[in-house]
Amino acid sequence: MAEEADFKCLRCGHQFKAPYSPKDEPQERACPQCGSNSVRRIKEKAKGK
Amino acid sequence: MTDVGRHPRIELMTLSEVADVQGYIGNFRVKVLRKARYVDEKECTACGDCIDICPVIKPNEFDLGLSTRRAIYQPFPQAVPAAFALNMEECLGNNPIACGKCLEKCEKECIDYDMQDEEVEIKVGTIIVATGMDVYDPTELDEFGYTRFENVITSLEFERLINSGGPTEGHLIRPTDWQLPKRVAFIQCIGSRSEKRGNPYCSNVCCMNTIKDSLLIKDHWPEVEIKVFYMDIRAFGKGFEDLYKRSKANGVMYIRGIPGDIREDPETKNLILLAEDSNSGKVVEHEADMVILSIGLIPSAENSLIRQLLTLSRTSDGFFMEAHPKLQPVDAPTKGVFFAGCAESPKDIKDSVTQASAAASRANILMSAGKFTVEAITSLINEELCKACGVCARVCPYHAIEFDKEKKLPARVIEASCAGCGTCGAECAFDAVIMRHFTDQQILGQVEAILEENPQDKVVVFACNWCSYAGADFAGISRLQYPSSIRIIRTMCSGRVDENFVLHAFKLGAPVVLVSGCHFADCHYINANRWTQKRVEKLWDKLEKKGIRPERLQLEWISAAEGLKFAKVMKEMEELRQGVTLEEIEYTRKEL
Repeated sequence: MAEEADFKCLRCGHQFKAPYSPKDEPQERACPQCGSNSVRRIKEKAKGK
Repeated sequence: MTDVGRHPRIELMTLSEVADVQGYIGNFRVKVLRKARYVDEKECTACGDCIDICPVIKPNEFDLGLSTRRAIYQPFPQAVPAAFALNMEECLGNNPIACGKCLEKCEKECIDYDMQDEEVEIKVGTIIVATGMDVYDPTELDEFGYTRFENVITSLEFERLINSGGPTEGHLIRPTDWQLPKRVAFIQCIGSRSEKRGNPYCSNVCCMNTIKDSLLIKDHWPEVEIKVFYMDIRAFGKGFEDLYKRSKANGVMYIRGIPGDIREDPETKNLILLAEDSNSGKVVEHEADMVILSIGLIPSAENSLIRQLLTLSRTSDGFFMEAHPKLQPVDAPTKGVFFAGCAESPKDIKDSVTQASAAASRANILMSAGKFTVEAITSLINEELCKACGVCARVCPYHAIEFDKEKKLPARVIEASCAGCGTCGAECAFDAVIMRHFTDQQILGQVEAILEENPQDKVVVFACNWCSYAGADFAGISRLQYPSSIRIIRTMCSGRVDENFVLHAFKLGAPVVLVSGCHFADCHYINANRWTQKRVEKLWDKLEKKGIRPERLQLEWISAAEGLKFAKVMKEMEELRQGVTLEEIEYTRKEL
């Protein structure tokens, strides 16, 4: 099963899950809600806070 | 092919694979793996004595398994050179020798079981990529029964069946009873123009191929009833509409609607197609003796390897991307490399020949001149500042930077290979890379000029030359308005946007900074904008650590055709700007 990570849109604030693996080539991502490409991966450390 | 084989200035390397490509325009060094043929191609006259005696029978790949061949064979009748090849994995005569009949039979003693693969290096000035395409495998579209019903075949299999050099010597038969089918159905767009299964693009050639096939059948067997199930018939080339009309005048029925299901009559092996005719709105059952699936074209499976060897780009459909779709349609982004045929996109024979002629001319212009002019936007290494860390060489999409890790010598730019994306300049931590005409000083100077007065009212936008800046242009000529607070700084690639440019803008009071570039599939510098994304992600972390909202740095991929998106994003940037307080700006200035 493909690995997933949490992402947050820095335009509309929407949080979502998307396939992600640190080994993969970078991928073009877009927020499913507003379509913005300012999509930031929420790192594990930050999630614990 | 024969002419190519005989040409005194063309060396044809068959049964060969490109193993490695080094160098740059005018100076490519290509390693070619010449696979062992096990037959001396200069001596072999293709007399066929060895074939008659070979006991190994295998499916013939050229006839898509519809006929057989021996372990020693000629791939297809017109193959160049006209010599046989021995498949050693199938041959019984290899270790331990169990057969050896061909060896005994060949009077000219052409067969050599001990022949070895050999690697040769050739030096070339230009390279033309003409690696072709593959065809779509319709197995996943189970409703058409390709794997369940023998009388459902693909258009390529039909092509071999109806070919005079094919397994039936051109006689149209259906696979189950070897009788002439009385009713033939073609189904179009198999694996094409579908977002869910297959590929979203049109494969370009299938409509005309079906029209041609329908006419071939009608010419030879006018009594055969032909139905073509289609979405749209795309007959846009010269003379194509006439051919389409001729096909209809010959009695070929065109039904607008793709069958949703195919069943087989277990007794007759006839096929029952259930399809809605979207012109009449009626769902009708059609019976056919044979169904031909008009399969689409897909990128060659070898494209990934070729992309790596030649540092090429691919569009989202997997075909190779041209340097410019309108102005350089046969040039690859890597200088000195050109495309011909379906390697670049699905196309028919005429278009392939046209593109091949253009590619040959483009290569010839370069080769005849013997010189190459480089645009004055290449990078340059300041040897005094270079710490020989090798980062610039690692990030260069064109492998245009040489770096000796062991000797720790300053990096060196091969200007003939450099395309001027500026990624090396943005990634160099020691400011040792000078981007001609897009230097740090020039870009920082623009940032300073923009933010000299009332910086809180400005949005700094870095836009790449090819897509985002062209998107702004398109918004302009489309009379789409966007806020006057937007200030655009053009770079050749978003990969040029140095971390310091962004931080400097924030330091001077910019409320919002936007970095924009081409969509990943459109990057004009192979993959330089992947580095943009990585850099922006690092900057988000950095800003957050300093207590600055990362939302103030935005990233957007905007293509040249997305004028509407450009205007929309700029309006959103203005809304963001209005949400940034003077206190925030002041805090940012102090922190940076």
